[in-house]
Amino acid sequence: MSSSIDDTRLIICNEEEVQGALVGFKCSDCNVVVFGPATFCQSCTSDNLITITFDSVGSLYSYTEVKVPPHGWPGEVPYILAEVELPEGPHVLAELIDIHHEDIQIGMALKLALIPVEYGTTGSTKIVYKWRPFQTSELN
Amino acid sequence: MKNLKPGREVVVAGVGLHPFGRFRDKPLANLALDSVIAALKDAAVAWKDIQVAYFGHVYYEGMSFGETSLSKLGLTGIPIINVENACSSGSTAFWQAYWGISSGVFDIALAFGAEKVPGGPVSVTSEDSPDRYIGGDHMMAGYALRSRRYMEETGATPAALAQVTVKARQNASLNPYAHRKDTYTIEEVLNSRMIADPLTLFQCCPTSEGASAAVLCAKEALTSYHIDPKRSVNVVAAALTSGSYNGHGSDHSAFSPYRTEPAALQAYEMSGLGPEDVDLVQVHDAATIGELQQLEALHLIPYGEAWAATIEGRTSLNGDIPTNTDGGLLAMGHPFGATGVRMIHETVTQLRNEAGDRQVPNARVGVAECSGAGDVTTVHILTK
Ligand SMILES: [Zn+2]
Repeated sequence: MSSSIDDTRLIICNEEEVQGALVGFKCSDCNVVVFGPATFCQSCTSDNLITITFDSVGSLYSYTEVKVPPHGWPGEVPYILAEVELPEGPHVLAELIDIHHEDIQIGMALKLALIPVEYGTTGSTKIVYKWRPFQTSELN
Repeated sequence: MKNLKPGREVVVAGVGLHPFGRFRDKPLANLALDSVIAALKDAAVAWKDIQVAYFGHVYYEGMSFGETSLSKLGLTGIPIINVENACSSGSTAFWQAYWGISSGVFDIALAFGAEKVPGGPVSVTSEDSPDRYIGGDHMMAGYALRSRRYMEETGATPAALAQVTVKARQNASLNPYAHRKDTYTIEEVLNSRMIADPLTLFQCCPTSEGASAAVLCAKEALTSYHIDPKRSVNVVAAALTSGSYNGHGSDHSAFSPYRTEPAALQAYEMSGLGPEDVDLVQVHDAATIGELQQLEALHLIPYGEAWAATIEGRTSLNGDIPTNTDGGLLAMGHPFGATGVRMIHETVTQLRNEAGDRQVPNARVGVAECSGAGDVTTVHILTK
C-alpha cells in the first residue's frame, strides 16, 4: 500500500487508495481555517487547534499551463497547475487533470483526485492529490 | 503593527554596482568587491572607516561569505552580518544598515549584495519536498496564477502585460549595467517561448549574476568623514514586513497578493510623504504582473488600473509614475542578493540627477520596493 505524499496535507481513507481527504486545522479561538500542517494558528498564534478534513469539491480560482516545469517535476509536460478555493476558505495548488485547456473556466467546480506517482529513484510510489472536473452527476 | 520611530537622520553617501549579466570566469567575491570598492569611491570613504557591514545573498557560497569577500580589502575586525531573506536579501541588508545608524549604534555602514543565480526555473522548497511532486512550487507559475486572476478581475489584456517588458527593455537600453539591453515590440514579447501561460519568457526576469553596494552614514556625521553632503541622498523611510494570514494560505489574488501594502503604509507614515509625492519608483517586477500589482499595492495607481496606466505610458520615463527606470528585474536581471541594493543604486543615481539618458526630470522623491518568498517585503523612500 502506498502512502500519502504528505500526510499533513492528504490522508488516505481506504485500502484501495482511491479515497482520501485534504486535512488541516481550525482554530478554536478565532475560527480561522488553515490547510496543511500547523501547530499554531496562522492568524492569532493560538495552539488551540482541532484537526479537520476539507470538502473534496472546490472552485477554480486561477490556473496556468506550465510549459517549463520546476526541477524534479515527475509528471508530463506541459501540465495545468490549478489554484482551487475550498468552501472552507483555503486555496490549494495542484495539477488539474482530465480536461482540455480550452474547457477550463475560472469558477468551475473541481473535485479532489488521488493519483499514485513514482517517488524518488527507488521505484516506490506515493499518493498525490490533483484536481479534476466535477460532474454534477457525481452528486448522490 | 508597531510604528517605526526613526532616531538620527540617515543618508546614502555612495553607491556602487557591478554590471548584471553572466560572468562565468569571475568569482562571486570579485563581483561583490567591485561593487563595494565603487561605493566606497563614490562616497569618498576609506574601507577602514566603515563600522559595520551587512551582506545580502541567497545561494550558498560557503560559510560567512560576506567576511570572505570583504577580507580582501583588509581585516578591520568590524561586525559583518550575512543576510538571507530571499529576493529581499539585499534590501534587508540595507534596512539593517539604516536602523543600525538611525538607532545611534553606528555612524557609517556598508550594505551590499551579490549573487550568481543558476539558470532555469526557481523554486522555494528543496528538491525532495512534496511540493515538487504536487507541482505547485514554481516561482513563475505563481506569477502566472496571479496574472490570470488579475486579467479575470480587471480586464487586463496580454498586450498590457507585454508592455511592461517593452518599457523595461527601453529603459535598460539606456543603462550600461543591464543584463538585457535589446528592445522588443509587444508582439515579440508575446511570441517568445511560453513559460507558464499567460507569461512568456520575455515576461519573466532572467536569473543573473551581479553585485551592488551602498554606503550609509548618519547625517550629523557627514562632516567628520569629509563626505560631500550635496551628493548624499536622504533615507526617509525604511520598512520591512513578513507574512500575515489572509484566510487562504496560498494567495495569487488580483490585488496585493504580497505584503507590500502594509510595508508601504509604514513607509509613508514614517516619512510623512504620500503616494502623491513620489517622482519615481523601483518595484519588484520578477514577472510583468508583479510590476502592475506592486504599483497598485504602493497606492501609486488605484487597484485594477495599473495595466491601463502602463498602456497609456504613465509608467515610462516621461510618464507621471516612471517605474523601474533602470530596466527593473525584467531587464537588469535578478541576482537575488544584489537586487535590493541595485534598486537603491538607481534611486540614488536618479535623485542625484546623474542618470544620463534615462534621467527622470526634477526627481526628488524615489521609492524602492522589493518582495521575496516568505512574503518578505521592504519599502524604502529616498529624497533629495
Ligand atoms: Zn486563531
